[in-house]
Amino acid sequence: MSTTLETLSNDLAAAVEHAGRSVVAIHARRRIPSSGVLWRSGLVVAADHTVHKDEDVEIGLDGGRSTRATLVGRDPSTDLCVLRLADDSSVEPASPARAELRVGQLALVTGRPGADVTASFGVISAVGPEWRTWRGGKVDRFVRLDLAVYDGFSGAAVANAAGQAIGIATSGLSRAAAIAIPAFTVDRVVDRLLAGGGRTGRGYLGIGTQPVRIPESVRGRLAPIGGEVPHVGLLVVAVQPDAPADRAGVLLGDLLVAFGDEPVADPRDVLAALGPDSVGRTLSATLVRAGAPITVQIAVDEHPRRD
Amino acid sequence: MSFSFASGLNEDLARIAASLRRCTVLVETGGRTRGHGSGIIWSTDGLLVTNAHVAQAGTAAVTLADGTTTTARLVARDPRRDLALLRVGADLLTGDAAVIGDPSTLRTGDVVLALGHPLGVPHALALGVVHTVTHSAKAPYVAADIRLAPGNSGGPLADAKGRVVGVNCMVIGGLGVAVSVDAVRRLVAAVRAKRAA
Repeated sequence: MSTTLETLSNDLAAAVEHAGRSVVAIHARRRIPSSGVLWRSGLVVAADHTVHKDEDVEIGLDGGRSTRATLVGRDPSTDLCVLRLADDSSVEPASPARAELRVGQLALVTGRPGADVTASFGVISAVGPEWRTWRGGKVDRFVRLDLAVYDGFSGAAVANAAGQAIGIATSGLSRAAAIAIPAFTVDRVVDRLLAGGGRTGRGYLGIGTQPVRIPESVRGRLAPIGGEVPHVGLLVVAVQPDAPADRAGVLLGDLLVAFGDEPVADPRDVLAALGPDSVGRTLSATLVRAGAPITVQIAVDEHPRRD
Repeated sequence: MSFSFASGLNEDLARIAASLRRCTVLVETGGRTRGHGSGIIWSTDGLLVTNAHVAQAGTAAVTLADGTTTTARLVARDPRRDLALLRVGADLLTGDAAVIGDPSTLRTGDVVLALGHPLGVPHALALGVVHTVTHSAKAPYVAADIRLAPGNSGGPLADAKGRVVGVNCMVIGGLGVAVSVDAVRRLVAAVRAKRAA
């Protein structure tokens, strides 16, 4: 007769085995491989920041076999990318679970930073509402994991106690915690990358900014934006040559206080306005230059692909 | 709502912690190579196992689970596998010999437990899972997703039945790494063969 602890042990090992079958090793960076999940037939989802090449990527499969894959597309804003396997005949895709996640549920991060499956065990530590990553990506739930992060964590499957993938693990979106990108966000990004021919589909201005407090003397000359004169704006600290902002006449040292008629107090506010539907549109930006407000019209481009 | 599964877990964990405590000792060496770690009672005739990096001197002070302290003599050291065997008088030995398990049955995700004296905290239990298994004679190690610290060295890593499967020896990238008890078996056999010859 098995004890309760043995039953738990057997269940966890079975969950890792089940989840691990669709977890692959991705040889696309120096040092150790990263992990990826065969999310749909022939399609591997991985952590974008770990995949440093686009063509002829070596993929290690369950059972020690290997195949090759080609990049379908990247979405750096959610740190996801999709690769297509050259030969997908033998591997069963993951069985993602899209039910609402609950704090306290058991979580097993199942990776493959090499030939063998690895496991890290813990619980879902926090589940929050939709959030925007520091790179501007929309993630449907904030899922914090309480477990240890080891080599190969990013791109690994976050499995529940039944071995179903509830999301993809990444350490590329938060320095403070292990984060899971939930299954429905992965579905959405995969659909978009497949539909868009692999393009990220995000808008692009070509500026770098830094939040600064607006001096009272300058605030006195600003009109209210969204009902209030803003206290914080974004100092333009980098302008990419020949990018949309440069072409619209934005200069280094300008203070961006509104974009698309919304106040901007954080670089993420700008990213939030640069969703897929912004591409090709002309949006107005309110700048403070030499203490005086001016307005420019910026024709938003699509975010260029990373080389 | 029933909590029978959780209370069953509680009882199992407490039972295994108690049984590991009876087979785990504190090992201290003095002199130039002063250090402390844990050790496992291998057999009731007085044979103990610990890490080579814990037992660097010819003798060590061993504190048993009941608090009594005795002196152990170094019998064998295998620095390559980070293993050492110590011997105390069988008449002075209290506690139980460890029940030895089979590391080849471990699967990734299986529950494991460690007992030791991390950072000097006596008889501390840690719970985790097997991080990865490589069934290779060249690499007789078990890597576990478990929180270990200096002082766990030489102590037991046990499976969900409470059987010892490894001797904790190091922390690499946050992972607890234990030498398989298969390597201990081979060392013990070699020492016994040498004595018989």
